Amino acid sequence: MRYFEYVEPKTLDEACQFLNTYEEAKILAGGVSLVVLLKNRLITPSHLVNLKTVPGLNKIEWDDRAGLRIGSLNRHRNIIDSAPIKKHFPILSEAASKIATPSIRNMGTVGGNICHAEPSADLPPALMAGNATLRAVSSKGERKIPIELFFTDYYENVLNQDEVLVEIQIPPFPSQRLGGTYIKLDKVTNSIAIVGVASVICLDDQGVCNFAGLCLGGVASTPLKVERVKEIFLGEKIKETHMEQAAKEAQTISNPLTNVYATAEYRKEMVYVLTRKALQESLKKAQAM
Amino acid sequence: MLKREIQLDINGNVYSLSVLPQRTLLEVLREDIGLTGTKEGCSEGECGVCTVLLDGLPVRSCLLLAIDVRGGKIMTIEGLSQKGDLHPLQKAFIEHGAIQCGFCTPGMILSAKAILDQNPLPSEEEIRGGLSGNLCRCTGYVKIIKAVQAAAQR
Repeated sequence: MRYFEYVEPKTLDEACQFLNTYEEAKILAGGVSLVVLLKNRLITPSHLVNLKTVPGLNKIEWDDRAGLRIGSLNRHRNIIDSAPIKKHFPILSEAASKIATPSIRNMGTVGGNICHAEPSADLPPALMAGNATLRAVSSKGERKIPIELFFTDYYENVLNQDEVLVEIQIPPFPSQRLGGTYIKLDKVTNSIAIVGVASVICLDDQGVCNFAGLCLGGVASTPLKVERVKEIFLGEKIKETHMEQAAKEAQTISNPLTNVYATAEYRKEMVYVLTRKALQESLKKAQAM
Repeated sequence: MLKREIQLDINGNVYSLSVLPQRTLLEVLREDIGLTGTKEGCSEGECGVCTVLLDGLPVRSCLLLAIDVRGGKIMTIEGLSQKGDLHPLQKAFIEHGAIQCGFCTPGMILSAKAILDQNPLPSEEEIRGGLSGNLCRCTGYVKIIKAVQAAAQR
């Protein structure tokens, strides 16, 4: 690693000021992705700003109006174990439990997983399927970014140099009958996703779909939201043909690469198979609620 | 380059050190303190040989900056035996032949300790899940799992 200066802000304001003053500064959260980049000299920041010395960024709260609010410094382990997340958006706990290995889950943070913008990362598809919004703070104020507008390319996101992701918000779903899943296709358990599929389905009392979210990981330069699933599912009593149609749409819009883990052709085939499976499981869970 | 004065709590002993901010916990353990039980493998968080316990939970010392773990309680393999008496996991690893070249063993035993601390009687699947981040290129894992099961029975 090249030499860098290291600072510990005591407040969010101070963290933003550091990032503003030192243009080559990077944020240190869990360090899992960052330290690997530093070791390989893929990045050579002048300063590391340790966000963990800023208090209050690891809360997990639920209220009926705002829904779930998850502080960006929560470790994957907290996401897996959190009672409010397991109750209100269990698919996120499921996705977190499929990240890498126990020690990585003890270190990595939800904010880091999102901001690193690795297109195969496990949390962004689940969050996107749940319509999450990201709250970012800078010295000029704050803004809320719908997660589908956050990622711009491989390892790129919309945050400015002095902006910090502080919170992930997942609004309440329209009814209690919620079903969802995150299916991950990997070479060995919990290695990088060849394809990841997150789906969320919500039904009203008559069994009619009133919320549908579908998102893919590992098949484009960013996590890929399948917007058309709303058109296909909303207002319908979901049948096999609807799910086939959504899976075909997911396959059509996916644009994967061939790399050492899998060919593009194989990934595209798997998108169809796994999307159907994810939707079937989600529907079954929602119907059982 | 500016060194920082830090204190680290390792195996119950407090060490005062002067380190550069880019020094990893692994480097400080092995090179500055001389605790060479913790090994360096891939140095990218994949292999698990550098595993130590931070506040009771397994972490990768190769991906942690030493300056970032002040205030935490760190346990390395050297902290496991009590007054020269090996820990039940260490004994079980020896008895079951769960050690061959020995390079993965410190990390493997610390991950196993974290499993048993949370769940004194884990299933085979839970043991496999808990050890999934520790690679062993010699044993084929069966003897390691048997050793953890044996230690759990004690």
